[in-house]
Amino acid sequence: MSWLLEKFKTFGNKTAIIWNNKEYSYKNLYDKIQEFETLLEKDIKKGEVIAILGDYSFENIALFFYLYKNKNIIVPIISDKESEIKEKLKESYSDKALKINNGNIKIDTFPQTEKHNLIENLRQSQNAGLILFSSGSTGKPKAMLHNLDKMVDIYKNRKEKNINSLVFLTFDHIGGIDTLLRLLSIGGTITIPDDRTPETVSKYIEKYKVEVLPTTPTFLNLLLISGVYHKYDLSSLKIIAYGAEPMPENLLKKLKEIFPNVEFQQKFGTSETNAIKVKNKKDNELFLKIEDENIQYKIVDGELWIKSKTQVLGYLNAPMDSFTKDGWFKTGDLVEKTKDGYIRIIGRKKEVINVGGEKVLPSEVEAVILELPSVLDCMVYGEENPITGQMVVADVIINDDIDQKEAKKLIRKHCREKLDNYKVPTKINFVDKVNFGDRFKKIRRK
Amino acid sequence: MESIKNIIIESLKELNEELNIKELENPDENTKIYGEGGLLDSLALVTFITDLEEKIEDELGYRITLVNERAMSRFRSPFKDVKTLSLYIQELIKEENKDG
Repeated sequence: MSWLLEKFKTFGNKTAIIWNNKEYSYKNLYDKIQEFETLLEKDIKKGEVIAILGDYSFENIALFFYLYKNKNIIVPIISDKESEIKEKLKESYSDKALKINNGNIKIDTFPQTEKHNLIENLRQSQNAGLILFSSGSTGKPKAMLHNLDKMVDIYKNRKEKNINSLVFLTFDHIGGIDTLLRLLSIGGTITIPDDRTPETVSKYIEKYKVEVLPTTPTFLNLLLISGVYHKYDLSSLKIIAYGAEPMPENLLKKLKEIFPNVEFQQKFGTSETNAIKVKNKKDNELFLKIEDENIQYKIVDGELWIKSKTQVLGYLNAPMDSFTKDGWFKTGDLVEKTKDGYIRIIGRKKEVINVGGEKVLPSEVEAVILELPSVLDCMVYGEENPITGQMVVADVIINDDIDQKEAKKLIRKHCREKLDNYKVPTKINFVDKVNFGDRFKKIRRK
Repeated sequence: MESIKNIIIESLKELNEELNIKELENPDENTKIYGEGGLLDSLALVTFITDLEEKIEDELGYRITLVNERAMSRFRSPFKDVKTLSLYIQELIKEENKDG
């Protein structure tokens, strides 16, 4: 049996999962996995591709580990849109879909089709698999096949810890799966909020004395804007870990003022390479060092390239364009490197705005605009313009204490003082909220 | 016509609060904007145009696009000076009316 399930057994009565206002122990989890085994033995064959429909729940997590144990290829799908589910079932070559409703499992079986080569190979190696979809903020979501046994084994031999972490990222996201495996492999507790609004998340932190909040800069900014952190006692928080997009310096400064006793950690990972172990620079965690025995990296034309022992086996529905022939993954993240070997993520390659041949990084402009106290949030992106090819556009949320005309002048003036001419936003739109996706990352386009 | 001219002059003045170009302090209908002897560079022109489009929409209620294929391929640039630009805008508004 898997070392991980053995561990679940030894952790016994410790709390593994808090979900739907109920606490579940590791024993409960282990028993549930056994129960599923007995129940589904006849229906689920080893090596089949099995979709789990739904987000985190005690049962879905148990189901996940049952399927892992049974050497299935798991496809977590959290969408409730019929068309999206259908599409993902097809793209992942799913044999069956499981959905738990009030404790009952519904099994849908789909006609057998010829499987993708990558799936066949994984089956032959007798390993469990995991299929995740990219967020698809540009273009069609890519279906990525991972070797789940290899992925789980990264978490082997870690020290037991009593720590309670909220699980923020979703069940179908590499970051969410990382939180799940990281916490449950060390005997920690994961707390699952009902939704991901600042209000609910804060409520759960207070109620269950959550110590770790893994999240994104976009969410942290929403938390500040909403002001709900005043309403709840968040003093149990020890660590706020963030990633998935660049952290604006000013936001980090504000956060540290509001949470002086919290340690802020920047994380790094991609759906293609899994979470990567990094060390943050002591006095400035915007800089990090990749220190992971499974990872090699290099910087090519400012872009971070990674080779990982546990990287994706391949895409099931897309060409491997983002990989070189010798297996380097071009992350699309633009980084700068310091002399002492730290790197800082400064933006996404495809988000770079080209103003008459000059390159503009949205995050740089955003950081300058966010220095103004009247600005609550902003997002910078490129828009087509016949004169300069593209122009810099800023969507801005402002305080009530300033009118739009004044704000526009102030923003332009401030940018002109701090930035090269071509980086100053040509167009400023005042908005109620900036565009972010369901993974709490800014989407920099119209 | 006067109102359009005034909007252009107002926009130039506002933009000049950032640019601080002496010749743009008191623009009139002969003030050169872009091209030969023009006071704006291409970046400032882009900003000026977006500001101007916004103002025309706010104050006159017309949503027009100043820069398009036609503007770019004209023999005489519509952005030459204040007078030429206001004539061009008038033309665009007339067309807009016809379509609408």
